[in-house]
Amino acid sequence: MTTLHPDHAHEQQGEIEIRHHFDDELDEIRRGLVQMGSLVVENTLRAGEVAVENRLDLVDAVRAGDQSVNALYRILEQRTFEILALQQPVASDLRFLIAATRILYEAERSGDLAVNIANRVAAQNGFPQLAEIRNLLARLVTESTRIFTSAVEAIANLDPEIGINAEAADDVVDDITERFFGTVHAHSAEIGLESAVELSHVGRFLERIADHGVNISQNITYVMTGTFPDEDSDFAPE
Amino acid sequence: MVNDMDDTVNTSVGLAPGTADLDIDLDAMIAPTGDEADDANPVLIDVEDLNVYYGDFHAVKDVTLPVRQNEITALIGPSGCGKSTVLRCFNRMNDLIETARVEGKVEYHGIDLYSKKVDPVEVRRHIGMVFQKPNPFPKSIYDNISFGPKIAGYKDNMDDLVEETLHRAALWEEVKDKLNESAYALSGGQQQRLCIARAIATSPDVLLMDEPASALDPIATLRIEELMYELKEDYSIVIVTHNMQQAARVSDRTAFFSIELGEGGQRTGRLVEFDHTTTIFTNPHEQETEDYITGRFG
Repeated sequence: MTTLHPDHAHEQQGEIEIRHHFDDELDEIRRGLVQMGSLVVENTLRAGEVAVENRLDLVDAVRAGDQSVNALYRILEQRTFEILALQQPVASDLRFLIAATRILYEAERSGDLAVNIANRVAAQNGFPQLAEIRNLLARLVTESTRIFTSAVEAIANLDPEIGINAEAADDVVDDITERFFGTVHAHSAEIGLESAVELSHVGRFLERIADHGVNISQNITYVMTGTFPDEDSDFAPE
Repeated sequence: MVNDMDDTVNTSVGLAPGTADLDIDLDAMIAPTGDEADDANPVLIDVEDLNVYYGDFHAVKDVTLPVRQNEITALIGPSGCGKSTVLRCFNRMNDLIETARVEGKVEYHGIDLYSKKVDPVEVRRHIGMVFQKPNPFPKSIYDNISFGPKIAGYKDNMDDLVEETLHRAALWEEVKDKLNESAYALSGGQQQRLCIARAIATSPDVLLMDEPASALDPIATLRIEELMYELKEDYSIVIVTHNMQQAARVSDRTAFFSIELGEGGQRTGRLVEFDHTTTIFTNPHEQETEDYITGRFG
């Protein structure tokens, strides 16, 4: 089991782990976050399919998928709140629970963005199918979900390294997004201004999902090390 | 963190109505950490490489712990880790134990507390102590306060001193109409505040507190903590507590002690980590501290 408090070191010294119940409660939150993150990945891929393949038949599934994300959000937030109130956590336990509330927010927003993508495609009744745009959009879906999947792995394994490298990974997404915008702009006369605007929105939503993924990974780094990985970067909270 | 906003938020304009005059000092809201804050208050009791022995038994080893003025320093750790022993070194209470031997530096205002020229009674007048169980004298409330100053030759108006002292200990309102009644008539929490009042009546500048609230109910405990917070304006406080949340609530700095098993199973107390309380309880440097304060081991 991945846990904040590996007990093997102490077992060697003959000491006994004394907060099993509390550890279980924290692990329940961790597993809940993994589940919620996985649902977001799944739904983003589904929304991506809606956008890239004009799969209007999947729009309702995307909307329904987000209901599960929202339900998990409410349950996990309530549990986190209760543990904070009842257990008076400190140190890494406190950092984990504070990070959990942030991660919940990031994941919930990402879920909403997936719905936004599906809704934009539905409102347009599908996008004009232009190979150059489609290919870049498909890559954007792949790279954004890749970053979000890494974030879910960071939670699952309590791995601080993913957050440390997340900014660099996100540069790939930013790069594709810029190219996507340029390509959409270049073809705006061809596909119509309204479609160009809506496609740009979809590109921005996917880029945002990747950003939320970066934030999630960095929160796990904070849990494990006590500091955010990029405190000198432009994005760090002042 | 990645920011959703394309521009940074400009806080100088567009504040919500009524918030412009709040004048919030953001720097003051962030607890000082690191070297820049370490100059904040001067060191009052300078403890370096302190070792305490009871006969052959090495009770505490190599403790370096500067106690700073107008701060509350908390000593925490499992039973037998030597935290009370260290506390007792600060006003030579260990002198009362025949076999006790103290080595290392314990300086108060730069004076070696263990110098032969120093009178331990005089030390205790400057560095007062409050114990776990309230222990008022079997005398009136008034006499409990006036006793120390009288012995020390206090010449001014005693009534004024008693009133002022009880005010400082946040007890005056509760006892002003029964100053001549026995101290034993007070509740446990009131008795403990009376003991604190008694300790500050001789104008010490350090108060040592050994589990001052562990015999009290939660409300009385919070009153003592609130009192400590007020008293640190005028005094420096060192508190030993089993209650980690109490250390977290009241103290500015926290020292975590642990037990080192020596050859032959000898258990020697050792200072593991000493830092700002916010650091100890949010991101301690030592894994041993983390394991203890999160309640995983110890």
